[in-house]
Amino acid sequence: MRKGSVIALLFCFGWWGVRAQDPLVEGLRAYQAGDLERARVLVDSAVSIPSHEEDAEAWLLRGFVYKDLYKQRSPDSDPDTLRSRALRSLDRCRALDTERTFAQNAEQAYQFVARSFYNDAAKALQDGREDHAIDQFDRFREAMAGLPEEGDLDQREVDFLNALGTAYTRRYNEDRLDTVVFDKAVSAYERVLQKDTGNYGANYNLATLYYNHGVYNIQQLGVDNDLLSIELIQQVSKELFKRALPYMLKAHQMRPDRKETLLGLEGIYYSLQDDERSEEFRTKFEALPPDNE
Amino acid sequence: MLMASFDLQRDPEDDTTAIVQASYIYNIAKLVEWKDAGMRQGNFVIGVVGGANLYQELIKKYATKTIGKQPIEVRKLPRSVQVDQCHILFVGENELDLMSGIYETVRDRSTLVITQYAGALEDGAVVNFVKAEQVVRYEMSLPNARKHRLEVGSTLKQLAHRVIE
Repeated sequence: MRKGSVIALLFCFGWWGVRAQDPLVEGLRAYQAGDLERARVLVDSAVSIPSHEEDAEAWLLRGFVYKDLYKQRSPDSDPDTLRSRALRSLDRCRALDTERTFAQNAEQAYQFVARSFYNDAAKALQDGREDHAIDQFDRFREAMAGLPEEGDLDQREVDFLNALGTAYTRRYNEDRLDTVVFDKAVSAYERVLQKDTGNYGANYNLATLYYNHGVYNIQQLGVDNDLLSIELIQQVSKELFKRALPYMLKAHQMRPDRKETLLGLEGIYYSLQDDERSEEFRTKFEALPPDNE
Repeated sequence: MLMASFDLQRDPEDDTTAIVQASYIYNIAKLVEWKDAGMRQGNFVIGVVGGANLYQELIKKYATKTIGKQPIEVRKLPRSVQVDQCHILFVGENELDLMSGIYETVRDRSTLVITQYAGALEDGAVVNFVKAEQVVRYEMSLPNARKHRLEVGSTLKQLAHRVIE
């Protein structure tokens, strides 16, 4: 909601002029003038006095002030405190607003602030700050749970977890000895599949993750390996290839004409020493028209 | 969404079977003794017929190493029954039509022939790669080793999938 709308709302209640010393009215004036810092001090004061502590409109204004403070914050300020206060205020407004006079405005503002956590989570993933991304996504989910209709929260969580899995996979590809990020990538994709067993990307990426790990182990064989360790490494890789297989089969079942799953199955079966099935999927791949992606 | 990718033409570095086989071949070289005095000097020659990825893996990881004091030399041999004198000769699974001729060529040589096809030990190979329980293993024939004046170490025998005594 824009500032003009809030102001118009307050005019309707006839406060203007008759309660000029009211910190809420003064806070509104400051908000109207764009002096958000002064508006914050005044509206904080307003909601702590008996005449406004149960006043939905006062909490709505406070929510807007903190939302705008968040939007105009300096780079070194703490965005989470501003957003947290905005959300609490808007939530309080909705709780007090039994007539639902401000419901639409409060919910729109609430959703804007809540979704900013999701946007920050996405940006953190792009910047390689996975822990911060998880924290921001948790805040987003917690905030969205406060809305009567959570909307596409499940889909957002699936998208986030897929992106998180990809981010951890990227890290693992940079350092194949880092099994901690490998496990985190697996966990992210498994959580996607718990919510959506038919998620193509999670099935394919999880299969590829296991397969590549198995191949990597074997690639490390060299002059220092004796016969026993060759066998042990093969056994470990075999288990990884076997874990990859059902996910790649599922992905292939979902999109039988995708080259990548045909090649994935060809590679997995080859590494499991099943030449017949490996050849079967290679033949299927070669039968696809060249423009199939 | 970022997807990992597979490559149709299997690169040598992704050819898990070739990587494992190369590692086995290096260990076999270390665990077998060539009784002929002439074979214990000069380069230690590993010849490869077929098996392009195996050859590349041997070059990449083992060609600068030694067996005892003998520097390893990995040779890619032409597709022919007339093979060079080698300590170890690997013949790939796509070259089966050459096998009988190759056995004939190396019959009196101190050459350890390694293959990968069913019935190879009965035909004359000393070591044969097999697929067992979804991994690469090897089987070996001690009579064939003796014919080529090779002494097989106990560890190599103990860890084989099958040994013909």
